Amino acid sequence: MDENKNCGFKEGMLPSCAPLAMAYVPMQQSVKPIYSNGESLSRGTLFPGLDLPFMNMVNTGDLTGTPLGEVMALDFVAHELALYLDTHSEDEDAFELYKNVLNLSKTTKEKYVKLYGPLTQQDMSQAQSYTWLKNPWPWDYCAKKEG
Amino acid sequence: MFIYQKKLQYPVKIANPNPALAKFILTQYGGPDGELGASLRYLSQRYSMPYPELKGLLTDIGTEELGHLEMVAAIVHQLTRKMTPEEIKKAGFEAYFVDHTAGVYPQFASGTPWTAATMQVKGDVITDLSEDMAAEQKARTTYDNILRLSDDPDVNDVIKFLREREVVHYQRFGEGLRKAIEKLDAKNFYAVNPAFD
Repeated sequence: MDENKNCGFKEGMLPSCAPLAMAYVPMQQSVKPIYSNGESLSRGTLFPGLDLPFMNMVNTGDLTGTPLGEVMALDFVAHELALYLDTHSEDEDAFELYKNVLNLSKTTKEKYVKLYGPLTQQDMSQAQSYTWLKNPWPWDYCAKKEG
Repeated sequence: MFIYQKKLQYPVKIANPNPALAKFILTQYGGPDGELGASLRYLSQRYSMPYPELKGLLTDIGTEELGHLEMVAAIVHQLTRKMTPEEIKKAGFEAYFVDHTAGVYPQFASGTPWTAATMQVKGDVITDLSEDMAAEQKARTTYDNILRLSDDPDVNDVIKFLREREVVHYQRFGEGLRKAIEKLDAKNFYAVNPAFD
């Protein structure tokens, strides 16, 4: 089961000989290269190698221009790394990156919550009143970019 | 245990209401390859998975699908706000409206209510992961088809994000299957069901 370790980032490793009657998806080789946080949220993936749009329709905007967009992008990058780590738990580079993003996400959320209100009910411990009920809720239409 | 975050995974801001669009976007809420089925499929399959990588993957992707369910609902909710009876009739939205007004109800584009018959929990590692990979492709095709039919840039922006998530999940489930078979007898992957035997 020799594997080629020199694949490009849009390719992954497969066994050279493999038992019949089984489906094989190539393993992603490395956590790098990655998009920036903002681009990652817009494209729907942290990984350029997995970015496979339909009819070349892609979102190019950067959503991190607002405080909420920044929170969303950091949460998204952390989630993408978590899914990668679920199948690559021994990848130390990915784990370091994951921890850095989680730390940044934590401080960014603390700032957001202070200015705009709670993201979770846990955040109510610092609130002056029961602001959990404050509009808008996530599904409400907001003409201007909130947060 | 789940903790709610008062935000969407990706922003949904639909400037122009359009009930005609909502009629078929709704299928990704409660349709045969929609996000309700996706989340329940993965979160239900976790319990018979013997390997920690797969318990983690199904938990994490299943939880993300709940976030997608909320995003699709937000699209439908925003597309159906402030409708007049004339607009409802013009959009051919009467059948849905008379049953659900402007509520968000899990149903197929064809009107059939959501059914657990569209998903499976087989309790077999290889079978369940194969189902999950197929499910991601079916959802991806549905989003492709929505992109063919919708000309609303605010809607398509969100749909492109959701579609790309299906591609990433397909890769991860494929890797999960690789992880599972590494633990099985390569001479015969089907000698036993590691979720039961």
